[in-house]
Amino acid sequence: MPFPPRIARAITTALGGRSVRERAERLYYRDEGHGYDRFGLHPDFVALGDVIGKPGYEWYFRVESHGAENIPKTGPGILAANHSGTLPMDGAMLWVDVLRNTDPPRCSRPLADYFVPSLPFVSTLFARCGVVGGSRGNAQALLEAGELLMIFPEGVPGIGKPFAQRYQLQHWTKGHCELAIRHRAPVIPIGIVGAEEQMPQIARIPVKGPVPYIPIPATLVPLPTKYHIHYGEPIPLHEEFSPDDADDPEIVRNAAARVKAAVQALLERGLSERKGIFR
Amino acid sequence: MISVLVTGATTTVGERFVRSLVADTRVRHVLAVAREPPEQALPFSHGNRLTYLSVDLARSRHVRELLFGPARDLGVEVVVHLGQHRSGFGKGRKVHAANVEALRSILDLADRHPTIRRLVLKSYAVAYKVSLELPILVREDHPLNLSPKAPQYIRDRVEADLTACARMGLSSFETVVLRCAEALGPGTGSQIYDYLDAPVAFRPLGFDPMVNVATVEDMVVALEKATHGSGEGVFNIPGYDTLPLSEATRKWGTPSIPLPGGFLRPAYNLRHRLTGSEFEYGLNRNRLHIGLVLDGTRAREVLGYVPRHPIDWPIGGPVADPALDDSPD
Repeated sequence: MPFPPRIARAITTALGGRSVRERAERLYYRDEGHGYDRFGLHPDFVALGDVIGKPGYEWYFRVESHGAENIPKTGPGILAANHSGTLPMDGAMLWVDVLRNTDPPRCSRPLADYFVPSLPFVSTLFARCGVVGGSRGNAQALLEAGELLMIFPEGVPGIGKPFAQRYQLQHWTKGHCELAIRHRAPVIPIGIVGAEEQMPQIARIPVKGPVPYIPIPATLVPLPTKYHIHYGEPIPLHEEFSPDDADDPEIVRNAAARVKAAVQALLERGLSERKGIFR
Repeated sequence: MISVLVTGATTTVGERFVRSLVADTRVRHVLAVAREPPEQALPFSHGNRLTYLSVDLARSRHVRELLFGPARDLGVEVVVHLGQHRSGFGKGRKVHAANVEALRSILDLADRHPTIRRLVLKSYAVAYKVSLELPILVREDHPLNLSPKAPQYIRDRVEADLTACARMGLSSFETVVLRCAEALGPGTGSQIYDYLDAPVAFRPLGFDPMVNVATVEDMVVALEKATHGSGEGVFNIPGYDTLPLSEATRKWGTPSIPLPGGFLRPAYNLRHRLTGSEFEYGLNRNRLHIGLVLDGTRAREVLGYVPRHPIDWPIGGPVADPALDDSPD
C-alpha cells in the first residue's frame, strides 16, 4: 500500500476499537518475517478491512449469519457461494462474516478474477486483506497451507446476472471441486440472500480493458437490502474420494452439481425464512 | 574429496563461493576462472588448493583448452557455472556468446570429459513468466518467459536455462539448475538491488507487489549443497526475505515516487542516460506490478536448502522469521 501497516493500525485503533484490534492480533496466518504472508496479507490491513466493512456489515446491509459453526476452525476449506449484485458487496460481507464468526479468527482468501490484480490501489488493498488472483497455482498453495478459500463458482456471469434471474444460479464452474478432492479440503456451501436485489442491473456495455463490461444498474448505489448468509454443512469430498479422483471428469462434474444443489437449497431456505427484501 | 571448476569466479557470488570451497575440507582443489587477469582477481590467500585462470568462455576453443587441459589434469568432477553478463542493458552477439554459447560449449565438452560428473548452473528467477493469469508463488513447473519481445537479458537467461535442462537424463553427467532469487549486493547483477540502491525509486502508482530477495550468503549455501549433492533437476532457490516492494524501499531507506505506469519507462530511461543506473524498466515491468515469490519446497526436500540469512536492512536490520525458525537444516 502507499502507506505502511502502522498507519493502518492507527486507523483501526481510532475507528474500530479494541475488538477489531484483538481480532487482528489473534488472526491465523503465516508470517514470512516482515509481517506479511507470501501473497501480501497483513493483519493490520485485515483489521482495516474489518473497519471499512463495518458500516456495510452492521448498519447498511445488517448482515445476519446462520450456521457459521460449519466453517472449519482449522485446516483447509473451500467456501463456495452464489455471486450477485453488480458490485461484489457479497464477497466483502462474506469476508467480514467469516472473520467475525470464527474463533480464532480466520481470514478467508477470496479468489478474484484475473483482471482484479491489474487494478491500481484495489489490487493492493485486496492483496493485503487476503484476496489472491484466481490461478490454480495460487489456490493450490493456499490449500496446502491450510487456508480457507472463498470461491464464487458463478464468477463474473453471476455478479452480472439480470434482475429477472436473481437467485437462479448461473453456469457453475467445477474447479473448486477438483481443488477440494485433490488437496483434501471440505467444501462449505453458502447461500447469500439479499445481495441479488441490492443493485438491479438493467444493461451492460462490453468493453476491452481490465474489466469485462460496464454495468448499467437501476440504482446508483446498492440498495440497503438485508443480507442473510447461510452456511451449509461441509461436503466432505476429500473423505469420499481419493486425490487421483480429481482427474475423473465425471466425479468432478457430479461433485460440482452436489455443491450447486446445496447452495440452491440454502438460497431457497433463506428466501422462505426472510420477512422481506429489507428485513 | 572433489575438485571443482567455478566459472564467473570474480562475481560477487562467485568470489564468496570460491572462498567457501577453499575452506571446505571436502574439496581437494578449486579451479576458478573468469575474464579478469589474475592480478585483479580473488584478493584472498588460498594456499595451494586454488588455481585461478583468466579465460574468455565466450570462445569455444578456450573452453576446450580449459576443460581438456587444467580441468582434466586436476580431475575436476563438478563444474559450477556462474558466468553471465550482468548488465541489464547488455545486448548483441558477444553478450549472447557469454550468456548462452559458453554454457553450450561446456555442456558439449563435459559430455565426453573423463572426469566431470556433475554440472551446476546458477539460473535466475527472472526466467519465469510473470502474468496476471499465473500464480504469484512460483514452483519449478511455472512457465518460463519465452516471449520473443522479452529483452535479451531475459531471453539469454531462459535459453541458457533450457539448454541445461535439455541435457538432463541424456548426458554422462548430472545437471542441476538453480533458479535463484536476486541476491542484494553490489556487483551481483540484481535489478532489485539497482532499484533499491538508487537515490530515488520510481514505483508504479497503486501497485505494491510481493518480492523475494536473498543474500549472497544464502546463494553460496545453495551452491554448496548443489555441488555436494547427488541427482539432478531444477530447483528454486528463494531468499529469506519476502515482503512488498514498498516495504523493501522503506527498509533500504530509498525515497520512492509513485508514477502512473506510462511515465515509468521514460523516467527510468532518462535516469539511465543521466546517471548510468543499471535498472532496466523493461526487464521489471511485470514484476513491479504483479510480483513473484519463489517456492523453495523442492530445494528444501531434495537439496536440504533453507534460506537462513536475512538481509541486514539499512533501516531496521534483519528480521527473524518465526515460520522458519523450527525448520530442519
